[in-house]
Amino acid sequence: MKIDINHIAKLSRLKFSDDEAKKFENEMQSILDMVENLPPMEDIGALIDPENPMEMRKDEAVNLYKRDELLANAKQTQAGCVVVPKVVE
Amino acid sequence: MELYKKPAHELSKMLRNKECSATEITESVFERIGSEENKVNAYITLNKEQALHKATEVDQNIADGKDLPRLAGIPVAVKDNICTKGIRTSCASKILEDFVPPYNATVVEKLNSQDIIMPGKLNMDEFAMGSSTETSFFKKTSNPFDTSCVPGGSSGGSAAAVAACEATLALGSDTGGSIRQPAAFCGIVGLKPTYGSVSRYGLVAFASSLDQIGPMARNVKDAAMLYSAICGKDSLDATSVRKDYSNFEDNLCNNLKGLKIGLPKEYFSEGIEPEVKASVMNAVQLLEQNGAKIHQISLPSTDYALSAYYIIASAEASSNLARFDGVKYGYRTKEYTNLIDMYEKTRSEGFGDEVKRRIMLGTFVLSSGYYDAYYKRAKSLQKRISSEFTEAFSGCDVILTPTTPYTAFKIGQNINDPLKMYACDICTVTVNIAGLPAISIPCGSDSKGLPIGMQLIGPKFSEQVLLNTAYSFENIVDGFKVPSDIR
Repeated sequence: MKIDINHIAKLSRLKFSDDEAKKFENEMQSILDMVENLPPMEDIGALIDPENPMEMRKDEAVNLYKRDELLANAKQTQAGCVVVPKVVE
Repeated sequence: MELYKKPAHELSKMLRNKECSATEITESVFERIGSEENKVNAYITLNKEQALHKATEVDQNIADGKDLPRLAGIPVAVKDNICTKGIRTSCASKILEDFVPPYNATVVEKLNSQDIIMPGKLNMDEFAMGSSTETSFFKKTSNPFDTSCVPGGSSGGSAAAVAACEATLALGSDTGGSIRQPAAFCGIVGLKPTYGSVSRYGLVAFASSLDQIGPMARNVKDAAMLYSAICGKDSLDATSVRKDYSNFEDNLCNNLKGLKIGLPKEYFSEGIEPEVKASVMNAVQLLEQNGAKIHQISLPSTDYALSAYYIIASAEASSNLARFDGVKYGYRTKEYTNLIDMYEKTRSEGFGDEVKRRIMLGTFVLSSGYYDAYYKRAKSLQKRISSEFTEAFSGCDVILTPTTPYTAFKIGQNINDPLKMYACDICTVTVNIAGLPAISIPCGSDSKGLPIGMQLIGPKFSEQVLLNTAYSFENIVDGFKVPSDIR
């Protein structure tokens, strides 16, 4: 299987220089060659554990944090909001 | 008195008998950090001031005659992918270099409620992706048995700190072997619990269906003590399992009579170094001489497990790590022209190469046209591997294997060869794929004096059986040794 490094980088929101892309392409190719070593498998579905099912909690609104605590890690804020580059022209 | 060397269960007793204070324990551990950390480099962030403050509180509680929780006053260091309120949690990544969580992980809340002392946050492979702790953005950690060697990974800081007595206990996390492999490389005990038995709330997600937090210690009793403190249902983690979790330390039992141990032939193949194989087989003999029954078994899909693991783990990682975009927290690139440019530059500058490889692999196996051939096939294989384990456990109580195919390698030796690095996990990934518990304990050392670990695997929620078997073996060999001199 041949990997299209630029397409996958775009989907991954990553950017590579030409040199980096070459290096990654070679490495990714050898990793893919390794993971391709899977036997032919019928689709038997995903593993679930019926004895220990997931348990969702009640969907209740609770006030756990103050706004400024949550914004403290954002790089740029203004008037209690996170600032990002303009999205809509 | 060298309190830093003492096991947690002994320190707990000494505190109750007023033979030492929590402040003395904490100061002793920080003195040890002061003398050894420049050789080991286990910590990313030290928490001395708060630790000493907490120790004073514990001492006051003792003076006031209050009831002491089991872990009160015990130094427990925490891997840096577990959120600690007000203390930087970096995941050893540039992208979270200055992230200070506004909340505690559930395991940290549980430990705080027991009045533990938290000396600091431990180094690891970036986002827990790696087997040598060399992919950390901050530093390379050394193996206390030979500082030119890696401590294993990804919980390499946790294993090295415990082995070097720079912490009495530590928390690690295990997605494909990240507790057990470094425990084996550093000659300590590491338990990867059953998936769902420890809350993952506040653990920075790598592969959510495989990740599990677990204890690392210098002896089995201490590991049982820490595991008892962190397990249990948590409403903040939907995958955590409601169960009656007993006290694993109180129920420890030194008895191997009639225990059926399975040896899967696939785990003793040519890929395993002869010295490792010999040491593990010697341990098997000791267990047999002390009452265990040995059975040869087979787990035929083992050869495909590594492929299935890297597909499933990378797929989940590519999705989990999509949140790191420079908007709400973490690193943000300095110059950008628009939002997409900001995302791409932030992520390209913030993530290291190994993390990028996994994101790319995960994105590829989930992308249109490749999903069925890779991801779906790997998920079916996961089910097959799990069924093979279930079948094997109908004939034995525990399965015994080497933890790693070889002992600790030199720093820099495998870092430029991802496939060689991935092969380190060959004996450990199946356990995560099937959601089972497993423990790694030391069983000898190689000709260079580097520790060898063996792994005991059990059915879901059989931690007590694993701990009892490990405890019995520890008694047979008269305890595990850590290096007295770190060079």
